[in-house]
Amino acid sequence: MQTLREFYEYRELLKTNVKKDIRGRYKGSFLGMLWTFINPLLQVFVYYLVFPYLMRGGMPNFLVYLITGMFPWNFFMGSVVGTTGCIKGNAGVVKKVYFPRKILVLSQVLSGLVNFFIALPIMLIFCIVFGIQLTWNVLWFPVIALIEALLIYGIGLILSAINVYVQDVENLVQFFLNLLFYGTPIVYALSIFPSTSILYKLVRYNPMTMLVYAYRAILMDGMAPGWKSMSVVLVLGIVLTMFGTWVFNKLQKGFAEEL
Amino acid sequence: MIDQNNAIEIRNMTKKFRTYKDKQKTLKEMLTRRRGEVIENVVLDDISLDIKRGETVALIGTNGSGKSTLLKIMTKILYPNSGTVETNGKLTSLLELGAGFHPDFTGRENIYFNAAIFGLSHDEIDKRIDDIIAFSELGDFIDEPVRTYSSGMYMRLAFSVAINVDAEILLIDEILAVGDQHFQNKCFDKLEELRDSDKTIVIVSHSLGVVKVLCSRAVWIYKGKLRLDGDPTYVISKYLEQSAIDNKEEAKQAAESSEHLPRGAVFIDTPVPFQSVALNQPLTINGWSVSNSLDGQVEVLFDEKPIENVTRVPRPDVFKAYQEDYAGFIDEATTGLTTTIDGSLLTGGTHRIEVILRDGKTKRQIDHKTIRIKADANPVNPELDQD
Repeated sequence: MQTLREFYEYRELLKTNVKKDIRGRYKGSFLGMLWTFINPLLQVFVYYLVFPYLMRGGMPNFLVYLITGMFPWNFFMGSVVGTTGCIKGNAGVVKKVYFPRKILVLSQVLSGLVNFFIALPIMLIFCIVFGIQLTWNVLWFPVIALIEALLIYGIGLILSAINVYVQDVENLVQFFLNLLFYGTPIVYALSIFPSTSILYKLVRYNPMTMLVYAYRAILMDGMAPGWKSMSVVLVLGIVLTMFGTWVFNKLQKGFAEEL
Repeated sequence: MIDQNNAIEIRNMTKKFRTYKDKQKTLKEMLTRRRGEVIENVVLDDISLDIKRGETVALIGTNGSGKSTLLKIMTKILYPNSGTVETNGKLTSLLELGAGFHPDFTGRENIYFNAAIFGLSHDEIDKRIDDIIAFSELGDFIDEPVRTYSSGMYMRLAFSVAINVDAEILLIDEILAVGDQHFQNKCFDKLEELRDSDKTIVIVSHSLGVVKVLCSRAVWIYKGKLRLDGDPTYVISKYLEQSAIDNKEEAKQAAESSEHLPRGAVFIDTPVPFQSVALNQPLTINGWSVSNSLDGQVEVLFDEKPIENVTRVPRPDVFKAYQEDYAGFIDEATTGLTTTIDGSLLTGGTHRIEVILRDGKTKRQIDHKTIRIKADANPVNPELDQD
């Protein structure tokens, strides 16, 4: 509750931070902000070229399948990496001025979310071009995106705070993100695993899988997201945010000394 | 619960800093548990302090006494190890000017960034922005990127934002030295204006003169403990007394170890370099010297020849300037020096006057000044001549 009140008091800082982050991300490069969207598309292109040779049996609309998995994943990955380094990256300010430190984490998540929303039209264009019938269920998009953002915020609170104390967190995060990328059916379909194997279960109950499935349900299949799995991710997000807040509150008192 | 008349309430607050001999920052070092030696430093020891609403309080103390740490704890940048610190009202700290400035954005945009860090909303900044720009005297530069600013302009902008944030409690750490004299006076006037309103101000400063004029109360932190709290004039005089004792003690200890390198300065007021003086007339040399050597000696040489009977005279102006720095080593009555050179020495041509300050024990030279003068039958600038 107190956190929310502080966020409200410092809303202008939150706003300027998000703005600065979005504007500053690709400042100075020729295509500017477009890179935020070109990058995942280029990645998709690579997988699109390579994977059909690796996997037996094609998949209808593999390109759209890739895109509807890649953009939600990029939101997740970019924001987790961003939040992990955000306290350390702002050491100068953290050491000299008081403001609610969680603002730094939240503004990372929010700028990622804004980028993700801007990517929605691109995903929709690909759906339409490849002949997918869109339904009103697309409107569930913001709800799923917010659930994902909550999950990221919780993870970000924990990682950003620990990262101040332990140097290796950034490297470990890279590793686990890599693992998670292949543990989520983004570039392949879950059906490649036999449904009794442990790998199948691990991938099936991975929260990122649930999120990616939800996005594909509303974008590709024109269906509502699976409510059961969405509530699971939501509860996980709430639990992680609560735990993250606790960890962050404990650790933030030493930020100025450790940095 | 904090008393409503208090802006800041500190109770039995202790702050320790841990320094590790070799700090484990990587996971490997943490896991292999190669615990380095931990040195614990008590920076602030059992401080209890009330600062009332509307008061202007100075924190004084030598470097490393913990006063800046105390200020950081009041701002909630650092947290105490034990005890409590409570504040009542919107608090702004001016520990670092220009925090969050982004060089590529214009001065105007940076005002928004900087003020946002202080917790202002967009509307609140809009209301103040004209005042801030006017105060900074940046004029048209306000719409140029901050990276094109001189350091003085940068500091002026930063100070203008901070001072116009309109906090109820203002914490200031030694930043009255911003910009030129004109801007400093303006800052000082602004602080006086804030003091006379209902704002609470806490200042850390070494400018004891400023403290006396600006503050209604001074708190002296000595080696992490609260030593004295009261009227600035009294607290400052006690502080200077203690500094005198400490400085002497320190110099004595340092002198025993051979490492001691005393500091000091010597200066010649008159004659001025390259002055023309009257031929065969006695010439008076005036100057001063300060040093923290226990038995500093001043030698005056005229054309390489030592001059006897150098007398020490009062120089209150010099004493005032150096009293904190050299507390305990200098005396108001003996800061100045004067000597007269016999007229027979002032033959026609160029002469050299050298003043050397030496440590009495080691005879090591601390500082020296050399000037050249010309003895002339018709001095060009007789109004500068002595006698």
